[in-house]
Amino acid sequence: MALKESEAIVLRTYPLREADLLVTLFTRLEGKVRGVARSAKKSRRRFGGALEPLTYVKASYEDRERQELTRLDSCEVLESPLATQVSYPRAVALAHVAELLDELLPDREANDAVFRLALSVLAGLRGTEVWMPVTYFELWITRLMGYLPDLSECITCGRVLNGNRAFFHALADGLMCLDDKRLASSEISAESRTLAAQMFRAPVESFAGAPWPKALGADLRKFLIQTLQRHIEKKLVTAGMLEKISS
Amino acid sequence: MSKFAEPMTRLIDELKKLPGIGSKTAQRLAFHILRSTDDDAEALAAAVRDVKASLRLCSICNNITDVDPCVYCSSPTRNQRLVCVVEEPTNIAAIERTKHFNGSYHVLHGSISPLHGVGPEQLRIANLMRRVEGGEVDEVIIATNPTVEGEATAVYLSEHIRRPGLKVTRIAMGIPVGSDIEYADEITMLKAMEGRREL
Repeated sequence: MALKESEAIVLRTYPLREADLLVTLFTRLEGKVRGVARSAKKSRRRFGGALEPLTYVKASYEDRERQELTRLDSCEVLESPLATQVSYPRAVALAHVAELLDELLPDREANDAVFRLALSVLAGLRGTEVWMPVTYFELWITRLMGYLPDLSECITCGRVLNGNRAFFHALADGLMCLDDKRLASSEISAESRTLAAQMFRAPVESFAGAPWPKALGADLRKFLIQTLQRHIEKKLVTAGMLEKISS
Repeated sequence: MSKFAEPMTRLIDELKKLPGIGSKTAQRLAFHILRSTDDDAEALAAAVRDVKASLRLCSICNNITDVDPCVYCSSPTRNQRLVCVVEEPTNIAAIERTKHFNGSYHVLHGSISPLHGVGPEQLRIANLMRRVEGGEVDEVIIATNPTVEGEATAVYLSEHIRRPGLKVTRIAMGIPVGSDIEYADEITMLKAMEGRREL
């Protein structure tokens, strides 16, 4: 079979046999692809630091007949997260992006919009700021996957929520008004809904530079994570770790 | 019905639990043990028993040891005020092979790995903090792996152990000795340039 070449983002690696690595790549050409990088653990010469999670690479791989796993031939680093300092909050944020992409994307289905989103958010995560890129990524990935409900009306009565209080619940499919909110619902502020509307209209770079404390958009992130977890039917490991970061 | 006698099946099943050992290898090892002398088989069984019974973690550095404190922490000839922090006990052997490091160690037993749910609280950092806070250390060398996880661990540690009078350093990264610059990947080359030193 012919060697394929594509831009890709490394999502995860797992040890396989004595010296190989099983690599999950998000390729621009074919979406999520799993492959084997032979001797990647033993010899660093062929792959070097290219298989670190969230490294943007140019990958060459070859599909094998009647085999699900592709053979990873080489990876050339285009952008590495190791190029700038990896603080603990940044490491958790990068892992969060990797986990969301790995859990949400189907195998072998190209999605250029998500690929572009991932690249722009990774660029945003080069600095010390994590909460803005994380919020932007969670919001857009929820929308691009088709899981984001209308944030402007109550899912129960259809009332317009703009200018009114809005609530969400882990088991509800959207926002609710004050009259229809369920027991143990959480409130999502009007500021956070405005923020979401702004994020839908502007690229991630336009939010860079301004201070973004953890509290800003925290209710929006909680709502998005609940929505995503309900759809994938599992808890996201990195969501809990993000929550524990103090600032 | 099992292919082998019950004790043989049991041994194969136990050997299969070891990393990198599949059914065929487990069978081969089990038959090798069966064919070996009674003394050899007994020595193997005793070695397995002893490793579980006598080994523990050093109360100072978390290295795996049969005596507490371990040989590195109790040695009067080693510089106890110089501490090298590593991820795993096996990393100590790599540093010892240089024959140039005469300090002591601290083993974290892992690195920060958010994708696996491992945060700083899962690492063995507490006794390092006690050593640093007690003023027993002049320099901490952070020798975690040059990966995203190792870097995150190094940055986290450096932020948390920093004290006036304490030097915190990170091992250098770059081109391996004997290799060719032409074949170095971009990130390794970048780290090598960043870590350059004056001659």
